[in-house]
Amino acid sequence: MSLEKITNPFNARHWIGHMEADYVYTLGVAGERFFKEIKENGKIMGAKCQKCNITYVPPRMYCEKCFEKLKEWVDIGKKGVVHTFTIATIDINGEKLEKPTIYALIKFDGTCGGIIHKIDETDTVYIGMEVEAVLKPSNERKASINDIAYFKPAK
Amino acid sequence: MFGKKRVAIVGAGVTLFRRNLKETGKELSYEAAKTALEVAGLELRDIKSVVMGSAPDAFDGVHMKGEYLADGAGAYHKPYTRVFVGGGTGVFTPLAGWWHVASGQFDTCLVVCEEKMSSCYPHPQYAFTTIFDPILERPIGMNLIWIFALEMNRYMHKHNIKKEDIALVSVKNKRNALDNPIAQLAANITVEDVLNSEIMAWPVQRLDVSPTSDGAAAVVLASEDVAKEVTDNPVWIDGVGWCIDSTHWTDRDLYYPDYVECAAKMAYKMAGIKNPPKEIDLAEPYDPFDYKELHHMEGLLLCKKGEAPKLTREGVTQRDGDLPTCPSGGLLGCGNPIAAAGLMKVCEIFWQLRGEAGKRQIPGDPRTGVAQAWGDLMQYGSVIVLRR
Ligand SMILES: [Zn+2]
Repeated sequence: MSLEKITNPFNARHWIGHMEADYVYTLGVAGERFFKEIKENGKIMGAKCQKCNITYVPPRMYCEKCFEKLKEWVDIGKKGVVHTFTIATIDINGEKLEKPTIYALIKFDGTCGGIIHKIDETDTVYIGMEVEAVLKPSNERKASINDIAYFKPAK
Repeated sequence: MFGKKRVAIVGAGVTLFRRNLKETGKELSYEAAKTALEVAGLELRDIKSVVMGSAPDAFDGVHMKGEYLADGAGAYHKPYTRVFVGGGTGVFTPLAGWWHVASGQFDTCLVVCEEKMSSCYPHPQYAFTTIFDPILERPIGMNLIWIFALEMNRYMHKHNIKKEDIALVSVKNKRNALDNPIAQLAANITVEDVLNSEIMAWPVQRLDVSPTSDGAAAVVLASEDVAKEVTDNPVWIDGVGWCIDSTHWTDRDLYYPDYVECAAKMAYKMAGIKNPPKEIDLAEPYDPFDYKELHHMEGLLLCKKGEAPKLTREGVTQRDGDLPTCPSGGLLGCGNPIAAAGLMKVCEIFWQLRGEAGKRQIPGDPRTGVAQAWGDLMQYGSVIVLRR
């Protein structure tokens, strides 16, 4: 076989290059309104398709199942349920994290979708655990998913 | 009859899979394509169309990777296209090749898949950080391993599956790979080795995961009349299926791959398969993680939901079992150059059905095999049914 294995890529004749590109992503029509509601009113909203009777979280501009434009927005509250979770122990470089971090997919009663976020203020986590969103103080909110600081066990 | 012409695979080739290879992506493509042509007994001038499959541009580090790889794929002055459906690409590319020939437009099609992940330095994980939604997911700091951990946890929870049973997949595939000359991570390991390996994101541990790799694979497709001219052992593409679920992966339950079931049903209908576990002799489901082989066996309707761990424990999926699964060694044992890894699975079924798999040859007289890949952001399924 002509193919040659190398343990260190710098040992092969090489050229180092970059793929440089920076981006500015718009929040979009639905996203702008979703984050504005969190930032200004402290509310987590969903968008309801009246035709399919499905409430999507996070809200979307259209229903992917029937292609209706979604006009009805509803406050879904701040309480949800841990649908599944992971405990991350290493970061993207393979380095040990100082403190293991819990990431969970949180689903909201009677809705389709969910929010992926951190869980904090607890040492235990389980599937089915009730949690609630902790928002940053209103003067620190920037219309981003991180305006939700994390989720904690619900009272 | 589906399509205007019946389509056969008449040649296959796979390069070594390794963490770093000296060859460029073009050169890897050439090596695989040249081998497949030699096996088919054809020359480049006999090839009427070319389809290339390769995953995100960011791995090789060349935007417009399709154009960059074209000469290595044998596309010079030919109808050529590159297709891409994430991890599903390796099985989707021969499906795209199938419609080139089944449509009656071309007698032959050269299908090539390539990935050179080592160009992305120090680790291709960096390329994965930009596959997520830029508004909802990237600000949280999403990492690919985490979302698989979320899926694995949900699967384990739903069916009360133990990690020990999932680890058996890794043990089996790495052992199968000992007989595969291309393999990167062949090894004799134990369930304890898997359970004691480094925790990356619970429940995912180091030995639950396939490595990143460089490599290429290729197959030559021919219409029935050409296939019968060039070989006594054509392997027929009797079923093709592909499907995408919601782009919002958070909308799904995650415990079951509906998108695989949807793609499998499409392929089985075309192949006239009514009872998959009975009528399918071997399977190469996509196994970048050990739990995914189980997940995908269930989606391929090879067993009931939640039953795949039991079949694995009972030895049914070993090479000498009733349903040999990943006899190649899979991605866990051979390595995971994404698109090339998927097409390698199709090549393995081709060799097994022709009785040319050497030390990996499964016993009996296999006539029907299925290969499957899974991709995009956990919601794409591609399925191919091959028959001798
Ligand atoms: Zn709708």
